Amino acid sequence: MRLPRTDRYAELEPLLAQVEHPSRYLDHEWGACDDQRGPFHACLIYADVYEVGQPNLGLAILYNELNQQEGFSCERAFLPWVDMADLMRERDIPLLSLETSSPVASFDLVGITLAHELVCTNIVETLDLAKITLRATERDEDEPLVIAGGPSVWNCEPVAPMFDAVLLGDGEGAWVEIARYVRDAREQGVARADILAGLSRMAGVYVPSLYDVVVDDTSTRWGYAVPRPGSGAPEVVYKHCVNDFAATEPVAQTIVPYMGVVQDRFAVEVLRGCARGCRFCQAGMTYRPVRERPADQILSAVHAGLRQSGYDECSLSSLSTTDHSECANILSQLNRELSGKGVRVSIPSQRLDSFGVDMAAAVGSSRRAGLTFAPEAGSQRLRDVINKNVTEEDLDNAATNAFRSGYRRMKLYFMMGLPTETDDDLRGIPQLAEHVLALGRKILGPRAKVSVSISVAVFVPKSHTPFQWAGQLPLEEVHRRQQLMIHAASDRALRISYHGSWPSLIEGVLSKMGRRGFDLVYEAWRRGCRFDAWTDQFRFDAWNDAAAAVGLDLQDVACEEFDVDARLPWDHTSPGVSKGYLQREWRKATQAQVTADCTRTTCTGCGVCPTLDTSNRLVGERA
Amino acid sequence: MSTLPPHACRLRVRYAKDGRLAYLGHLEVMETIMRSVRRSGLPFEVGNGFAHRMRIQFSQALPVGASSKGEYYDLLLSEPLDATVALEALKEATPTALAPNAAVILPRRVPALEAWVDLSCWDVAVRDSSLHAPGFEDALGRVRDEGVINYLRGTKPRSIGLADTLVSCEVRDTDGGVDLVLHTRSSNRGALRPAVLVKAVCGLAPLRVCRTGQWHQDDDGTLRDPLAEGQGVLLP
Ligand code: SF4
Repeated sequence: MRLPRTDRYAELEPLLAQVEHPSRYLDHEWGACDDQRGPFHACLIYADVYEVGQPNLGLAILYNELNQQEGFSCERAFLPWVDMADLMRERDIPLLSLETSSPVASFDLVGITLAHELVCTNIVETLDLAKITLRATERDEDEPLVIAGGPSVWNCEPVAPMFDAVLLGDGEGAWVEIARYVRDAREQGVARADILAGLSRMAGVYVPSLYDVVVDDTSTRWGYAVPRPGSGAPEVVYKHCVNDFAATEPVAQTIVPYMGVVQDRFAVEVLRGCARGCRFCQAGMTYRPVRERPADQILSAVHAGLRQSGYDECSLSSLSTTDHSECANILSQLNRELSGKGVRVSIPSQRLDSFGVDMAAAVGSSRRAGLTFAPEAGSQRLRDVINKNVTEEDLDNAATNAFRSGYRRMKLYFMMGLPTETDDDLRGIPQLAEHVLALGRKILGPRAKVSVSISVAVFVPKSHTPFQWAGQLPLEEVHRRQQLMIHAASDRALRISYHGSWPSLIEGVLSKMGRRGFDLVYEAWRRGCRFDAWTDQFRFDAWNDAAAAVGLDLQDVACEEFDVDARLPWDHTSPGVSKGYLQREWRKATQAQVTADCTRTTCTGCGVCPTLDTSNRLVGERA
Repeated sequence: MSTLPPHACRLRVRYAKDGRLAYLGHLEVMETIMRSVRRSGLPFEVGNGFAHRMRIQFSQALPVGASSKGEYYDLLLSEPLDATVALEALKEATPTALAPNAAVILPRRVPALEAWVDLSCWDVAVRDSSLHAPGFEDALGRVRDEGVINYLRGTKPRSIGLADTLVSCEVRDTDGGVDLVLHTRSSNRGALRPAVLVKAVCGLAPLRVCRTGQWHQDDDGTLRDPLAEGQGVLLP
């Protein structure tokens, strides 16, 4: 049911004294758009608490784009933390937007970010709290259109029944186009079903209700999706891709939160896409091609952003910032221009070579906090399998450079359960770390306090990657391999930590399933699961019970290997990387053959450029 | 005492905290104001430490849940400026709900704001249909006689003596409850939060708390306005 658009802050206000972090619910931040006259109203939702969702760059980009359009207004909403959500339910207060405290169910259009797999139950919670009919096909004619988008749309089937449409790929331009289309159609009295059919003809828009799921002997048990006869929906929906990234607004973050948020700094997206080709990495496959922002644009955006926001820290964000062709120049110029102003510059990820360390040192990244590297695997063979083009020599050079530059702490990230992994590969992890420790002691002296820690996550096979056919490691085996690594570590100065194996299993389950996965998600939510990405809220027992109730076994789902020729549940949504390329990469992986980065050599044939009529756009030679 | 560069000048700013932001914590308010100062483009002094922190001091923390008509901060500017110009720049750069409404240039050396401002006046609304002024006053008398309130802050036990901190409390009947006008004094032994007093008297949380004024009280009882010793501009 569509709720009336009224300001309901007065109902929320008395609850503020009773909840944790009331500043999550206040709005009125610097830079928030307070002109919300519409008449077309959209609301963007990040289905987690304010401090996690507000820094999201995608949300900021779309918020500003739509608010700049005449006749369109765009507000924000976040999922209230459990204390507030429970109080709101008790008092029959629906989920409200921030800017005008209007019920989310009163909007014309609602956009929800699919940030990662573990946000699935939060989406059910969001729609339920909002009083929006959960299943898109059961929504009333005048209910909001609910559209998903974001980094985790690439197997959206387990949540697809909740969405009228899913936007694949870059949001710039597409979000405004969708809003315009819906506005015009609504004004002309077009029926909901026809609006959806129209949306399905737009670039990058997937309308789940126009597809049937077929299970047959060419597919996995989760089937594949085919357009309903006569629906006119395309067999494969390709992502929306912004070719001219440099033409997008570089100062996207305009709202300055009151409360501390997860990335409390001004961020400029310096490039989009990464072509290094790590075979486990979904973002590396789905954000191609690589598009760099010109250096002068980045520099002026940093200055403008800092001036407009008042932040004292800025981050040059992207999947691989140190790969930017002008990285060294940009950092040295920023250092010159910002020196003495009390402004810090940060880069999110360190490239595992000597250059990466130079860049970290250039931004003055804290010597005390140390450096973080991700070799991902403990042996050269396995690093070749995953196409992490990093050699032992690179790591040696990086560590030597880091210790010589005064860093004493190092954190190394690895994965376990990678395809073809053996016990020897795992023993290689502590060996590698001990080798780095020894290097540090040699360079800084035996008494120096050198610290190396390793963090090991469980590998989760993701759709649209060369490892999409792999099965996940069973829990029992995860725990055995964890023990093995602990026993293999002989140096007591080495610290090993493991990343939650149980949440990873759920992540694996949701990455594998087709549309039937929604039964599991819904059942888990019904049994109280929400905020699954929060360790203190995650309840494996409830997920297990939910799986049993819908006739599934979690391990059985996550650990299943798919046939390389099988039709997959996500084959109908494509980032442009061809299945043939992924199959080739999968075969090369099994033979430990590497594939080069196409921004440094020539095209390696992933298919994105010809399929989407696009190309890598670099602003110079890459180092 | 830290050194003052030769051209540095001290700007004292009064700002309100709108009811909507009553639930903003003190740290959040401080961070927001520092960002507003940076946006304003005013030339501010930074400390000598590695982090180059802005040289700014705030008056005593307002309890979470309270709004205010007058909070203060002292900002060290790196060059002399007209208070009107500075106030305009700050107003432009601050969220309306925390907008500054007065600014004066002070002598370079003044006592630290947080300890110097020690007397507060509060409007407090308590709503419950069973509440009436005479009953509330009786209960208040009993609490006062006990001399100390023991309470929990989060899970930590705390206590506050009333002899030094509760100056006066006027109670008035109103629709559905009582309104209080409360004067409190703070010292290095602590400050009395209106919500703590109300809870001790009637077991309820106040509906609304607003600090309506702050002063320094001299030994002879004279109240001194934090803006009085400066030269500058006061907006209504
Ligand atoms: S099509 Fe070729 S050049 Fe384009 S992203 Fe793929 S591998 Fe690189």
